[in-house]
Amino acid sequence: MHSALIALLVVCIALTGCGRGGSRAEDQVIVTGSTTLLPIAEQAAEQFQGLNPGTSVLVSGLGSSAGIEAVIAGTSGIATSSRDLKSEEEGRGLIDTPVAYDGIAVIVNPGNPVDGLTTEQLRAIYAGEITNWKDVGGADRVIDLVNRDEASGTREAFKKIVMGDAHFDRSSVVLPGTGQVRDVVSRSPGAIGYISVGFVAPRFTSTLVKALRVDGVKPSEETVASQEYPIARTLHFFTKGEPTALAHRYIDYVLSDDVQDGVVIDAGFVPVTARDRL
Amino acid sequence: MTTPNGVATTTGELTLVSRQMQVREWLLAAVFFLCAFVAVLAVALIFTFVGYKALPIVTEVGLWPFLFGRVWASSEGLYGILPLIEGSIVVTLGALAIGTPLAVGTAIFLSEIASPGVRAIVRPAVELLAGIPSVVYGFFGVVMLRPLIGRLTDGIGFGPLTTWIILAIMIVPTIAALSEDALQSIPMGIREASYAMGATQWQTIHKVVVPAAKIGIVDAIILGMGRAVGETMAVLMLIGGAAVFFEGIGSPMSTLTSQIVMDMGYSTGTHRTALFAMAAILFVISMGLVLAVRLISRDKE
Repeated sequence: MHSALIALLVVCIALTGCGRGGSRAEDQVIVTGSTTLLPIAEQAAEQFQGLNPGTSVLVSGLGSSAGIEAVIAGTSGIATSSRDLKSEEEGRGLIDTPVAYDGIAVIVNPGNPVDGLTTEQLRAIYAGEITNWKDVGGADRVIDLVNRDEASGTREAFKKIVMGDAHFDRSSVVLPGTGQVRDVVSRSPGAIGYISVGFVAPRFTSTLVKALRVDGVKPSEETVASQEYPIARTLHFFTKGEPTALAHRYIDYVLSDDVQDGVVIDAGFVPVTARDRL
Repeated sequence: MTTPNGVATTTGELTLVSRQMQVREWLLAAVFFLCAFVAVLAVALIFTFVGYKALPIVTEVGLWPFLFGRVWASSEGLYGILPLIEGSIVVTLGALAIGTPLAVGTAIFLSEIASPGVRAIVRPAVELLAGIPSVVYGFFGVVMLRPLIGRLTDGIGFGPLTTWIILAIMIVPTIAALSEDALQSIPMGIREASYAMGATQWQTIHKVVVPAAKIGIVDAIILGMGRAVGETMAVLMLIGGAAVFFEGIGSPMSTLTSQIVMDMGYSTGTHRTALFAMAAILFVISMGLVLAVRLISRDKE
């Protein structure tokens, strides 16, 4: 998306951070990556800085791939990622810390009579083989595909879990963020999109979207943590080698009950500890 | 520093002042030369850098498969930019088709018809359009225009039509300001001669003033075209980002500029080279447009 602008912004913020008197490199950690993880990373950072005056945790969302690349390149301390490492990213000395679970909800306009799809139907829809809602039990209306950009970890996970070897229909609209997908789907009667379960419920806006059952399972925290819901994934923090002292404290804080039972749940994700509790 | 004529040497102070002046004059000339040189240097550096980064495309993808490949799918290693070139052309021509009549009409109104009072309101308003950041246009388009177009085309509303309308508004100030300059540069005597022959105002505009300013107006349109081809942010937000050929005015497409921005955050290897090659193509297009303006303007002289 506008990653370059954001990257520039990050650099600017980082530079001003460095320039400020008294703020040394070891008091600062840069966290870059997934837009899905942004609410967790950001709110945890705010609270962490409140508890640890003088430290600075700079959080930005550029997409998982950009975050991982930044950590490999050493320009960022922690990468937040909503996908596992790709083969070419493995063996680069990245250490993985799972911080939450996330399900990807398939969303449609609330006016759409369709309530559920199978993974198979979803694949055919996103491959462009099924193009009308009437073929999956809905009204006679063209299906407007809404996809994410290729830097998106959500797209990566959706492709891996749902699409398999099939290719996305290239004529679908590509939007650069979860918020945009949600907004467009909520306003377009024939649209279908996918976003994290945590973003299905209305937040600051009042527009509604409807999450579909996939293979008969409704996406919820329980079904995501129990792995009943088929389109689910693990959210990661990656560091290059052992994290710096400050990064380590920040990660520990993210894993603490304060964040896991607070921000993580508030953001609609499932805490890492949830699977142990099942 | 010696002065050849005896005048300056007669008093020491005079020589001193004139030498200071000479140094100052020389320094000023150097400073202004430096200013001009920085611009030239920047163009040369950018051109060299983009060209250097783009060149491997010839061996990695091949010039023909790159320029005329019909599929852009970086994840599958397919780097054909024909759909993107088509997207840029569709977006630019559509915006020009809507924007040009609007802009030239504005220029004629401002230059030939409007009373000074009206002009004092309309001209700043048009100039203000040029000052609005493109992301604001894009945001306006997404929030206000897209749902309307979506209802109209029975789709989502991303695509050429939405982009055309917003882009047309964006290029109006460029074309209008330059066209107005061209119209203003036509000597008053020509208009007076036309009126003296008994021509009406419309006849004077239509048969005399506009034909006389034709070259300047064409220049203005070409520069507006340059703005449309290069516009990135608003197009990115409205076009839909689907790298496919034109399927309808309400179906998403993608352009060279918007694809570069969308991909550059995560591209590596050949993908990145392809983006630089697309940048090089945009560079060549804009050079071509500037050259066209120069050639046309030279014809005038």
